[in-house]
Amino acid sequence: MKRLWKTALAAVLALTAAGCTSIAGNSGAATDVLKMGTFQDVTSWDPANADIGFDGPYLSAVYDALVALDENSQPVPALATSWSFSPDSRTLTMQLRTGVTFADGQPFDAAAAVKNLEHLRAGARSGQAYLNVDSVTAVDPQTIALHLTRKDDTLLYFMGLGRSWMASPAAIDRGDLATDPVGSGPYEYRTAESTAGAQYVFAKKPQHWDAATYPFAGVQMFPITDQTASLNAMLSGQLNVAFANPAEIPQAQQNGWNVSSKVASWVGIQFVDRTGQRLAPLGDVRVRRAINHAFDGAAILKAVGQGGGTVSSQVFPVGDPAYDPALDDRYAHDIAEAKRLLAEAGHPRGFAVRMPMSPIFQAWQPAVQQTLGELGITVSWDEMSQADYQKNAATYPMFIAVIAMDSNPMASVAGRFTTEQWYNPEPSIEAFPEVAELVARTEAATGDEQIGLARELNGKLVDLAWQDVWYQANNTYFSVPGIKVTPITGMMFPTLRFIQRG
Amino acid sequence: MLKFTVRRLLSGLVLLVVVTCGSFFLAHLAVGDPTAGLLGNNATPAQQAALRQQLGLDRPLPVQFWDWASHAVRGDFGTSWRSFQPISEQIALRVPVTLSVVLAATFLAAALGLVIGLVAGQRPGGLLDRCLKLASVVLFALPGFWVSLVLVLWFAVQLRWFPAVGYVSPDESVLGWLRSITLPAVSLSLTAIVLVAEQLRNGLLEVGGQDFVRTLRARGLPERRVALHVLRNASPAALTVLALMFVGLLGGAVVVEVVFNLPGIGSLTQSASQIGDIPTLLGLTAVTVVFVVVVNFLLDLVLGWVNPKVREK
Repeated sequence: MKRLWKTALAAVLALTAAGCTSIAGNSGAATDVLKMGTFQDVTSWDPANADIGFDGPYLSAVYDALVALDENSQPVPALATSWSFSPDSRTLTMQLRTGVTFADGQPFDAAAAVKNLEHLRAGARSGQAYLNVDSVTAVDPQTIALHLTRKDDTLLYFMGLGRSWMASPAAIDRGDLATDPVGSGPYEYRTAESTAGAQYVFAKKPQHWDAATYPFAGVQMFPITDQTASLNAMLSGQLNVAFANPAEIPQAQQNGWNVSSKVASWVGIQFVDRTGQRLAPLGDVRVRRAINHAFDGAAILKAVGQGGGTVSSQVFPVGDPAYDPALDDRYAHDIAEAKRLLAEAGHPRGFAVRMPMSPIFQAWQPAVQQTLGELGITVSWDEMSQADYQKNAATYPMFIAVIAMDSNPMASVAGRFTTEQWYNPEPSIEAFPEVAELVARTEAATGDEQIGLARELNGKLVDLAWQDVWYQANNTYFSVPGIKVTPITGMMFPTLRFIQRG
Repeated sequence: MLKFTVRRLLSGLVLLVVVTCGSFFLAHLAVGDPTAGLLGNNATPAQQAALRQQLGLDRPLPVQFWDWASHAVRGDFGTSWRSFQPISEQIALRVPVTLSVVLAATFLAAALGLVIGLVAGQRPGGLLDRCLKLASVVLFALPGFWVSLVLVLWFAVQLRWFPAVGYVSPDESVLGWLRSITLPAVSLSLTAIVLVAEQLRNGLLEVGGQDFVRTLRARGLPERRVALHVLRNASPAALTVLALMFVGLLGGAVVVEVVFNLPGIGSLTQSASQIGDIPTLLGLTAVTVVFVVVVNFLLDLVLGWVNPKVREK
């Protein structure tokens, strides 16, 4: 028995002695290797099937984009060195960078860019960015032209956001990009050292044309969905950048970490049926306003959102040119006013509504049940899986929503209001002539005039209670001293160019 | 013994077939058309139809089942709907991770459960026996992930003895592998240790008071020989608990793998179920059922060897 205990003790001491020497301490000093907790695994290495959301870091390691974004979400050159629109805004001509080759030795030129853009146009996910692109042609070996069906003020933004990654034409032809990425990006993907779903290892290409933008000699990405695990990995020194829970900001500050936060999604109730086709009361603006007045966004942000965000009534992100701070006071929490509006609309005792529910929305369920209950609106919940929620939520007249925002006013107009999306299958703009007219003027305008009109449209849609926004939720990132993350609204996790020393 | 072995083997095969068939049809009927989820909700009907054809979902369900089953028996579970990588390869990469943790936890449960059970059984009411009772109450009252988190915060974050997350392959570093599985295995095994120890302790007390033990002592047999007889008669319950624990630990591995971010079959099951990756889930189900069947089969053999009465049942 004594021998057994001694053996066990010796084993523990050997293990712990090794542990004391081999775990990298979180000394706070900047490191040459970026070790990121990325929250989500890569959806696909194929840029046509990838999500902009959390795939950005992965794809930005192995691919170059035609267009990138700067810190203010303005398009900046990447593989396209310059571009210009024709006077009628129907042709976008791009000059391409020379001397760039893909990892398999294929050259990047106009033919490769055309091949990629056709691939992206056909992609189920990426195709959304190219809805107004009719065709792409090579003008000469270093110039391409995108021919549009109509003026499109969102194209360059979406290309920069993550819809213009360029892959080897040979790899596109082989059809195996989903598992075997071949790009010209700043890092080499070390498959032998990587384990899909657990760890992705990249090594810097010293000769990359934009090497200065990527200061880290190596990058390791760990998809860690559990934010407590992510925090523990930061605390133990295994990560130096992590997607974080806002509730842990005080602990991060105690540790001397850098904390970066920026609004990423709006949280509230999405009205699918604004014309009352499926649920008559929702066709009355007074009912939608009543629901807006009923919810206490500040309380929900504090209780459920852990304070990580900004109370708001609008879907243009805080700080956006079309964002209007005055609109956030439009629907102050006022149950009496909500009841008055509901009675005025002919529903003094409320009405009944069915809403979908899935596990990740359960945090908001009691607030919705109680608040709508105060107005006499009785909710019947249909429980479903998360995958089914995204598939079926928009078949209900209204549902609890957490919807990503864009840091480009016209992308917000298109994405949130005018185009069909999974959360907005019936944009219903035509049913509101004054909205349709304002949308048309906004889309036709340019420059500051367009921004002004987008702001006006924002005000109009808030007034019409297009949605019931409770707050805009932050995405938060922790990084050790010496590493700075610059969040970009529209990217759930910023691409590598936004993770710098600092 | 041969008849007994064949019977157990056949019942295990029947279980494997029933569970995998049931899983296949239930999963396909429950999930329905996965193409919208896989392509994003903005995919056109033509794109969805093309993917349905690519995945073979446009065929009748019995045809799909035959195709899946005929490949599965050869260890080919098809390709993942998410990553488009061969599922067998993914599972092969992840099984060692889960098995490392679960086998280490089982070993800890067996070794420590045996030692603690023996001591507590020999000195009922003693300090260790009382500690065992207290531990059983406390551990069953605490959620598993809480214990894991406490271990991480203390041994990984505060003391830095072990990594907080991640897995190191033994090919890379044996010491690194041991360190990466220690905390997950310990957190997974704590309840099992107490259960095994309690079963053994109770078994020892029950058997120790029987007539044949008194007879053995009266015949002047050395105490060590007597203890061996007692242990052999008291062990079936503890062995059964240990085998059931192994099966339970496979399930418990899901929580542990999430907390420690281990790339095992538990975390793969979780991510596959979130996105409705049916082929991956079916592959994982088949592999898990094989584990369960094999463990139960081995348990039956051991119990049959230890206690001939079992073979006659």
